[in-house]
Amino acid sequence: MDRRQFLKLLGLSPFYSNLLLCEAMAAEKSLVAIADDRDYSQATIKAINALGGMRRFVRPGNVVVVKPNIGWDRSPEQAANTHPLVVRAVVSEALRAGARKVKVFDRTCNDPRRCYVNSGIEAALRGMKNVDLKHIEGERFKSVRLNGRTLRDWELYDEVLSADVFINVPVAKHHGLTGLTLGLKNIMGIMGGNRGSIHRHIDSALADINAVVKSHLTVVDATRILTAHGPQGGEPRDVKILNKVLASSDIVAADAVATMLFGLKPEAIATTVAAYRRGLGEMKMTGIRILRV
Amino acid sequence: MKPGKVPSARISQLLFLLLFLVLFVQTEYRGSDRISLAVNSFFRADPLVGLSYFLAEKSFSLLLLPSLILAVCTLFLGRFFCGWICPLGTLLDLVTVKIRKTAPLKFLQGRVKYWLLLPLLFAALFNVNLAGLLDPIAILVRALTFSLYPLFGDTVRQGWVGLYRVLGEGRDVLAPGYGFLRDHLLPFRETFYPLAFLSFGMFLGIVFLERYETRLWCRRLCPLGTLLGLLARFSPFRRTPAALCPDCGECRSHCPTSFDQDLLQQEECLRCMSCRLKCRFGRVSFAFGGFGSGTKYLPERRILLGGLVSGFFLARLFRFRFPWTQAAVLRPPGVRDEQDFLKKCVRCGECMKVCLRSALYPAVMQAGVEGLYTPVVLPRLGYCEYNCTLCGQVCPTGAIPDLPVEEKKREVIGKAVLDRSHCLPLAKGINCIVCEEHCPIPLKAIRSEEIPSVDASGRSFVLRKPYVVDTLCNGCGICEYVCPLEGKSGIEVFAVKDRTPLSGVDVEADLPY
Repeated sequence: MDRRQFLKLLGLSPFYSNLLLCEAMAAEKSLVAIADDRDYSQATIKAINALGGMRRFVRPGNVVVVKPNIGWDRSPEQAANTHPLVVRAVVSEALRAGARKVKVFDRTCNDPRRCYVNSGIEAALRGMKNVDLKHIEGERFKSVRLNGRTLRDWELYDEVLSADVFINVPVAKHHGLTGLTLGLKNIMGIMGGNRGSIHRHIDSALADINAVVKSHLTVVDATRILTAHGPQGGEPRDVKILNKVLASSDIVAADAVATMLFGLKPEAIATTVAAYRRGLGEMKMTGIRILRV
Repeated sequence: MKPGKVPSARISQLLFLLLFLVLFVQTEYRGSDRISLAVNSFFRADPLVGLSYFLAEKSFSLLLLPSLILAVCTLFLGRFFCGWICPLGTLLDLVTVKIRKTAPLKFLQGRVKYWLLLPLLFAALFNVNLAGLLDPIAILVRALTFSLYPLFGDTVRQGWVGLYRVLGEGRDVLAPGYGFLRDHLLPFRETFYPLAFLSFGMFLGIVFLERYETRLWCRRLCPLGTLLGLLARFSPFRRTPAALCPDCGECRSHCPTSFDQDLLQQEECLRCMSCRLKCRFGRVSFAFGGFGSGTKYLPERRILLGGLVSGFFLARLFRFRFPWTQAAVLRPPGVRDEQDFLKKCVRCGECMKVCLRSALYPAVMQAGVEGLYTPVVLPRLGYCEYNCTLCGQVCPTGAIPDLPVEEKKREVIGKAVLDRSHCLPLAKGINCIVCEEHCPIPLKAIRSEEIPSVDASGRSFVLRKPYVVDTLCNGCGICEYVCPLEGKSGIEVFAVKDRTPLSGVDVEADLPY
C-alpha cells in the first residue's frame, strides 16, 4: 500500500465500517492446516508440521501449557472432550521440540477426577516424562486487568500466564448458547470465579480474555464432532466422524475454518465475529489460506 | 507376664483399627467406578444394624449376612467383638490409660443399657429405626466423616495454599509429594458439614466418660455391646475361675470391664484375656465349658414391656415434620420410598463421605427427628454426578440401592423447577442458559426456545428462554448448582413423591411437540 492508497483509504474510512478497514489493512493471509487421517496422532502431527512444525512455536527449554477441553465426564467416543490421542500427539511434539515442561489441565465442569479419567487423557499421558496433568487449584487464579469491553478484570490461571507457550487444543462441538465451541471458547477453562456469569455477554467477554491470553498455536480436534446437544452430548447419533485435525497460529482463522466443517458460515458464530472485529485474527475466507494435508 | 509382652487381643485391636482407618480413607473415588472395599464392611458385620434392619424391614438382606455370622460367633465366644475388633473400643483402650478415674457413675449402673437398647429395637419393630444413631461404629464414622476428616483435609490444604502464598509457583517442586497425599490420604474436596459439632461431641462425650470408669460406654450404654452381651450370656467359652480368687483379687484391676463384682459378669467380659496373661499364678484359663446361661436373666419383664411401650411411643412421636421442609428432602439416587429408606438407613454417613461432588449432607431437621443424620442432596452445594454410583455401592444396608450406572441415571431424585422471578432470561431478558449447558441428560431435560427480543439499549437479539422437560429430568441438581446467580438459584430441584425412573430414550415420543 503506497501513501496515496493509504490516504484515500483513510479519507474514505468513515464511510466504511470497521470491518472493511480491517480487511483492507490485512497484510498477510492466515494459514490454517487441515490434516485428514484415521490415525489421530498422525493427523495431529501432520497438521502441525504443515505450519512449519512445533519448533516454530516451542523453543528448547520452554514451559508449555497445553489446554485441551476436558470439561465433561464423557468418554472419547462421545466427542465432548478433546481426543486423548490428539492431546498426546501435541504434548509429545512439544517435548520433541525441546520443551522443558508440558503442563496439561482444564477447569472442568463435572468432577475433575472423573473428567481426567474418563476423557482418556489421564491414561494417554501416563508415564510421559516432564509432563504434568494437573488438577486446578483455586489459589492459583490471579486477578488480571483486562480492560476489555465487557470484562474489566478476571481471575486467570497463573500457570497459563507464566508459561512461555500456550497451546489451545479444543474439540469442535455444538454448544447451546454460542452455536459452536472451538478455540476461542476453550479459553474458558483457564478462567476462575463465576464463569457462568459471563454468559450474558459471552462473545465480547471471550474476546476480552483472548485478547490478553494469546494462543500461540491452536489445534482443533475435529476427529469426531458433536453436531447437537452440546457441549456435553451423550447421544451417539449426534457424533459425526471426520478424522480431521486443524492447526493454525491464528485462533480466529482456526475457529472460522472449523465452523465450516459443521456446514455453517464463520459469520454464524458470534464468538468468532466478536474476536475478528477485535482484530484478534482473520475470519474471512479471502484472508485465510487453507492447506490440506 | 513378661514385661513388654503385648496381649494378642491388643494386636488384633490395632490391626482392626488400622483396617478401619484404611477402609475409611478408601471410601472415596480413587479413579475407578467401583469401590471394592469400603468401611461398610464394619456395618455389614454389625449385629445391631442387622437386627434393627430385620425388625424394621421384617425381612433379611444378604448384605447383612456377616452380622448374622458375628452374632452366631458371639453366641459361642462371647463379646470378643468388643475386646478384639471394635475400633471405638480400641480408641478408648488407647486413651483411657491417660485419664485419671473418679468414682463410677451410680445412675448408669444396672439396667440403663437395656432401657437404651430395647426401646431402640422395639421402635425399629414399629418402623422407626434409630439404632444407627447410637451404634458405636456409626458414631465413630460420623465423627470422622463430619468433623475430623474435613478438619484434617482442610488443615493440610490450607497449609498447601499458604505455601503458595509464600513460594508462588516455586511450590511446584513439592507438588509430587502433595499429589501423593491428595490421591491417597486426603479428601479431594474440603467439604464442611452440618452437625459437625454434634458428631464430634458424641465421640468426645464417650471419651469423656472414661474418667468415671474404664470402658464406661461399652459396659453401661453401648447398644451394640448390650446386644452382644445378651448373646454372650449363652457362650460356653468361659473363664475359670469364674470369681475372684480370695487370696489375690488382682484381676479386679486388670479387667477393663466386668470385675467390679466378685463374680465375673459373663455378658460384660470382653474376652480380652488380659487376666490370663497377667495372672501371677497361672490359674486363669479360658475354655469351652457347658452351654447355658451363666448369670441370671437380667432384663426382666418390666424392662421388656417398658421397652415395648417406649419403643412404640418413640416410633410415633418422632414422626413430626415441618411441611415446608419436605420439598427440600431430596434423597440419594435410587431411593424411591421415604418410609422404606428411613427404615433401612443406618445414618452412618458413608454415602456422604464418598459423594464425589459433596452433594450429600446429613439432615438436621428437614426430615424430622426421625431423619436426623440421614443423607439429603443439597444441590446448591453439590450435584449428583451423572455417571457415578458410589453412594449405592458403600451403603451397608442397601437403603441406597447399588444400581448399574445405566439404571442409576434414570432414577429420579426430584424435578427441577425454574424460578421466573430469579432466572436471568425469564426475569430480566438476559441470555444465560448455563443450566441447559450442564444438563447431563443426552436429550437435555432443560431446553430453550429462541425468542427475538430487544435489549435495554434497543438492539435486537435472540433470547433463549429455558424450560424444563419433566419426563427427562432426573433431579440431579447440576442446574441448581451451576446457576450463576448469587445466593439463591434461578432453578431449583424439588422433591417429588412419584420417583418412577425415567423410561429412557423413548421419552422423546412423550414430548408435547
